[in-house]
Amino acid sequence: MSETILKATNISKRYSKHKALDKVSIEIKRGMIYGLIGENGAGKSTFMRVIMGLITIDEGDIELFGETGMKGLQHARRKMGQSIETPALYPDLTARENLKVQAANGGVSEREIDYLLNLMNLKDTGKKKAKNFSLGMRQRLAIASTLITNPEFLILDEPTNGLDPSGIVEMREIIQRLVTERGITVLLSSHLLDELSQVATHYGILHQGKLIRELSKEELARESRQYIELETSEVEEAVVVLDQIGIRDYEVISGTDINIFERLDDVAQINKSLVLAGVNVSRIGTTRQKLEEYFLQLTGGNSRA
Amino acid sequence: MLNLLTAEKIKLFRSKKLWIVLAILSLLPIYQAANSRLAVHYGTKLVQTVDTVVNGASGILMMEKNGLTILLVMSAFISFFIGEEFQHGTIRNALSIGRSRTHYYLSKLVISSLLSLFGVLVMTIIGMISFSAVFGFGHVAGINYYVSFAFQSFGTLYVLILANVSIYVMISFLAKNSAISLIWSFLYTIGTGFGAGVFLQTKHFQQVTYWFTESFLFYFDFAKSTDIARFPEMVLVSLITILISSTIGILLFKKADIK
Repeated sequence: MSETILKATNISKRYSKHKALDKVSIEIKRGMIYGLIGENGAGKSTFMRVIMGLITIDEGDIELFGETGMKGLQHARRKMGQSIETPALYPDLTARENLKVQAANGGVSEREIDYLLNLMNLKDTGKKKAKNFSLGMRQRLAIASTLITNPEFLILDEPTNGLDPSGIVEMREIIQRLVTERGITVLLSSHLLDELSQVATHYGILHQGKLIRELSKEELARESRQYIELETSEVEEAVVVLDQIGIRDYEVISGTDINIFERLDDVAQINKSLVLAGVNVSRIGTTRQKLEEYFLQLTGGNSRA
Repeated sequence: MLNLLTAEKIKLFRSKKLWIVLAILSLLPIYQAANSRLAVHYGTKLVQTVDTVVNGASGILMMEKNGLTILLVMSAFISFFIGEEFQHGTIRNALSIGRSRTHYYLSKLVISSLLSLFGVLVMTIIGMISFSAVFGFGHVAGINYYVSFAFQSFGTLYVLILANVSIYVMISFLAKNSAISLIWSFLYTIGTGFGAGVFLQTKHFQQVTYWFTESFLFYFDFAKSTDIARFPEMVLVSLITILISSTIGILLFKKADIK
């Protein structure tokens, strides 16, 4: 069983009357890319800040790399890196100087600076100050800055926020490369489930400060994939027909509904087989529950995510 | 702590703010020497109790002469130096990798203290050179042992400045914003500088006036024997101010949420 990097248990944080986090429990194991999804104000950034020790909690326990307690967590955080919300950079410093500052903060050598500038396509920025960088460049520099201390666990809050489509693709590739090449465990957040689904291996859905659902990539795929929706008053007969025509991947949802997950292009043929077998088909058609719709469904439909 | 100081050094040397502070503190004594020369040229007689610095020897009191200016310049520098870390979010970079908040606070205090020391040293040296060039080195009236007086007065004046630096650092960490910190630091400086004298009007709280370091910095004559005798009291008040402000600042910063 792989090592637990983060174990947050019943984390609660209240700002006067507003509960920003309400008994949130999350466990992240080594190698995971854990995607935290939620609308704006759901508590994603608050949770990340709690983990980074930037804000205090009202109740709950945090275990990082097996360490607990104030001193233990402080020690464990040396193995972490973060980029929360906007890239935290010194605007009047160059990319190299920004990395030098963070290397000094972390008490690590400056040897990796050239490698990281190269990795993040920033080696040609020379004397250009960070304040003159594009948002994409600033995001990449912020990630380079977190990597200078060789973190084993990276926290990225909305890393694609404000990026153009090519920037989003680039950022996604960088994250995947960090996981495969450096074996880094990642906790990242987004309010776009579609976007997150392309990198994350596990998901946690936060809504109004509560973790309402945790699921793996496979579970998400199963729950949000495309299927043929069949409505009939004769479900048992319909199932027999489906078996006869070789369909195995289907699910009886209710006394009138069956979802069929294969042969999605054969709707007409399936319909014909059912009708010829005397099954009364009320409705049949391909449907796709988009990830965002799935998210809306989970959060009660009032989300803007 | 040393790692944080190294990071601060990189930031500071690349900061325009450092050079602006040093430029103000370097040019001011030259301007004042030239201005005094012009005043004398047009018939004004320089008096040490009024003008504080009248020759090279009394240049050691440049901090007394420019107390308010130094405080305002340092308060502005510290407000930006610390406030921008919160506003740019860069404070997270150090704290999120397990650096102690106490060490972070102290690193900012140490850098502010060192900069103010360097700034007032530069100001005093340039002041002594400029006034020597214009009026000669001369002597300080009533002072027999100049070297000892010079060290004592410089040390005491610096500690009085340092106490205010410590307050500005505390305000900046509590305000978490350059502009807000600037306003509160200004209000503190003006309020305690010109408001503490109110206690002198009362019967039972007169001593409270001397709980504030500005009272010494703005109203005492550091070349007067009765005021020189109060140097230990000034140092004590300054050290207590540094201790209290740093303790409050660190305790509240440790509990503060970082956005």
